[in-house]
Amino acid sequence: MSHIAAPAVRPLGVGILGAGPVTQAIHLPALARLRDILEVRHIMDVDPAVASSVASRVGSASSTSLEALLADPAVDIVAVCSPHQFHADQVIAACRAGKKAVLCEKPFAMNGEEAARIADASAATGVPILVGAMHTFDPGWLAAEQHWGDLPEQVHTIRSSIVLPPNARFEDFATEIITRPAPAKPDYSDIEVIKAMMQGGIMGLAIHDLPLVRRFTPDFGAVEVLQARHVRPFGYAVSLRTPTRVIELRAVMNSTWKPEWTFEAIGDDSALRIDFTPSYVQAGSAVATFSRGGETTTFGPYGHNGYEGEWRELAELASGGRRAPSAQALIDDLTFALAISEATVQNVAAGHLADTEKAGATA
Amino acid sequence: MSAYTVTATPQAEEAGAVALAVASLPATFGPAAEGREADVAVIAGEAGWTTEAARAVETGSRGILVVDPVPETTTQLAAAAEAAQAVVVLDLHWASNPALVGESGDPDARDAVRSALGTSSLMDSVATASPGTDPQRLLARHLAAVLAVSGQLHGVSVLRSGATGYTATGRLANGAPFTAQGVLTTARPAGVDIRLYTADGGVAVQVPDPDAAWPAEVRVTGAHGELLLPTLYESAHRCAWRRLKDHLGAGTQPDDLAGFARLTDLYATLAAT
Repeated sequence: MSHIAAPAVRPLGVGILGAGPVTQAIHLPALARLRDILEVRHIMDVDPAVASSVASRVGSASSTSLEALLADPAVDIVAVCSPHQFHADQVIAACRAGKKAVLCEKPFAMNGEEAARIADASAATGVPILVGAMHTFDPGWLAAEQHWGDLPEQVHTIRSSIVLPPNARFEDFATEIITRPAPAKPDYSDIEVIKAMMQGGIMGLAIHDLPLVRRFTPDFGAVEVLQARHVRPFGYAVSLRTPTRVIELRAVMNSTWKPEWTFEAIGDDSALRIDFTPSYVQAGSAVATFSRGGETTTFGPYGHNGYEGEWRELAELASGGRRAPSAQALIDDLTFALAISEATVQNVAAGHLADTEKAGATA
Repeated sequence: MSAYTVTATPQAEEAGAVALAVASLPATFGPAAEGREADVAVIAGEAGWTTEAARAVETGSRGILVVDPVPETTTQLAAAAEAAQAVVVLDLHWASNPALVGESGDPDARDAVRSALGTSSLMDSVATASPGTDPQRLLARHLAAVLAVSGQLHGVSVLRSGATGYTATGRLANGAPFTAQGVLTTARPAGVDIRLYTADGGVAVQVPDPDAAWPAEVRVTGAHGELLLPTLYESAHRCAWRRLKDHLGAGTQPDDLAGFARLTDLYATLAAT
């Protein structure tokens, strides 16, 4: 049996709010690869059985309340992995509890007012906040960022295309899930269901890549929705435009086994394409490919993905080795996503109404 | 000695790489001697091509090959060709690629796509051409390729069109969304990429430009895994010429003009929106 040396410096303690599939299948496996710098010390979930079961896997304390986790002195970093509507209040509470850093799963707020409250709390307490937009921490993306030169100014077209099987396929490759939400049977004839699914598509799926899109969209504040179409069983076809950019977002979550997750930024004679690995599995980083003048240059794949990347960055933030990301950038990312989400929902509702009227006219 | 002599307008010669295509079927086609009437007339598919083709029929051409035609009403030309028993073949930029519509039961993109349409949830397609390409011309090539494999499209409209490309939208027969994006860039390979997503996979069709014999790729993904259909190292241009040869030899009429009418009809509805 090999000897595992004790780390020279005590790892930073991690507390996680919410012990659902993302925590079980993404964060705990990522943290298991970083045991020299990070250690899970507290798991909170409103379901006591889930909290204690997940905690027992990593040898941590467990609880069912936010307060108990925040009061735990062994917790240096708080990860907010609860349902979206709790994010803002929990992030602010973690800042006020004097923790060293906070990770908030995307989206970190559901409106501008919440985002501003979070930014104020972070500024007042000095606690850095990192939003879990994992692709922005992917080594493939970071390599692209280092090498793209003036490409962001040259780009006229941006595409994000996501094809994924149901999450369970990759969750089961990553861990042994304790609880899993029951699959829903949506009523596609109900426009309120479609609106909710479109909002979920933008704020839950497109949001992974919207910070990337925004980096190539200097006039992101002037985004206009040209079309928003729901794709069954879950997905979207959304066409956006700003005065200088065309943005196409596609997503299909069906029962395929074959994931494809690509981001493209395209100019007249140069382009960047990034092929991301699927979430949940430790399948290394994205591969970034630049095309210019008939030549291609590739970066990656590297050995870890964006989730591990964000935990590495959190550890550096918490230990003071790195400056906190700009709160304004986080707010801009969020307001960009919210603007698209709201306009998308309006567009799909208007389209549904028009279809209904047409059907009535021809019936 | 070739069976049929060929003459091409300079514009058609360049657009259709005619010399190369003819040289690849040397037992069948050869250049006409200067000043002699040719058996086959090759014309470029610019506006007015149907009139030019009808004139070629009138002057006795046995075969007419039209390179990259723009949408135009073909009714009169079809009638003239039938009356004269002339063969009119359209060399469509992407849609004539042999991987899209095969012969005599060979597996092809059309069968793959049509057999998957019943459970389709989205058809997403992207056409790429170099900057400076007329977006309307690109859209016509794009829709011709999609129509070749998909069957009817409904409610198609153009959401935007400009110097960097276009976005068009519509519906498949089962109501699933159809999107067509054109991108003008030299940084992506020129060609058209058609993706049909279904309940458990889908079909991916990548068609290259016809200026070389690089093959289209048709991949069918499902519970079985992924199947790459046999690759065909033949350009769209040569495939069109081979069909012309077959029809001339058999004395049969191709359905190119009737099929092209679907594109023309669709294009007319786009112009009206």
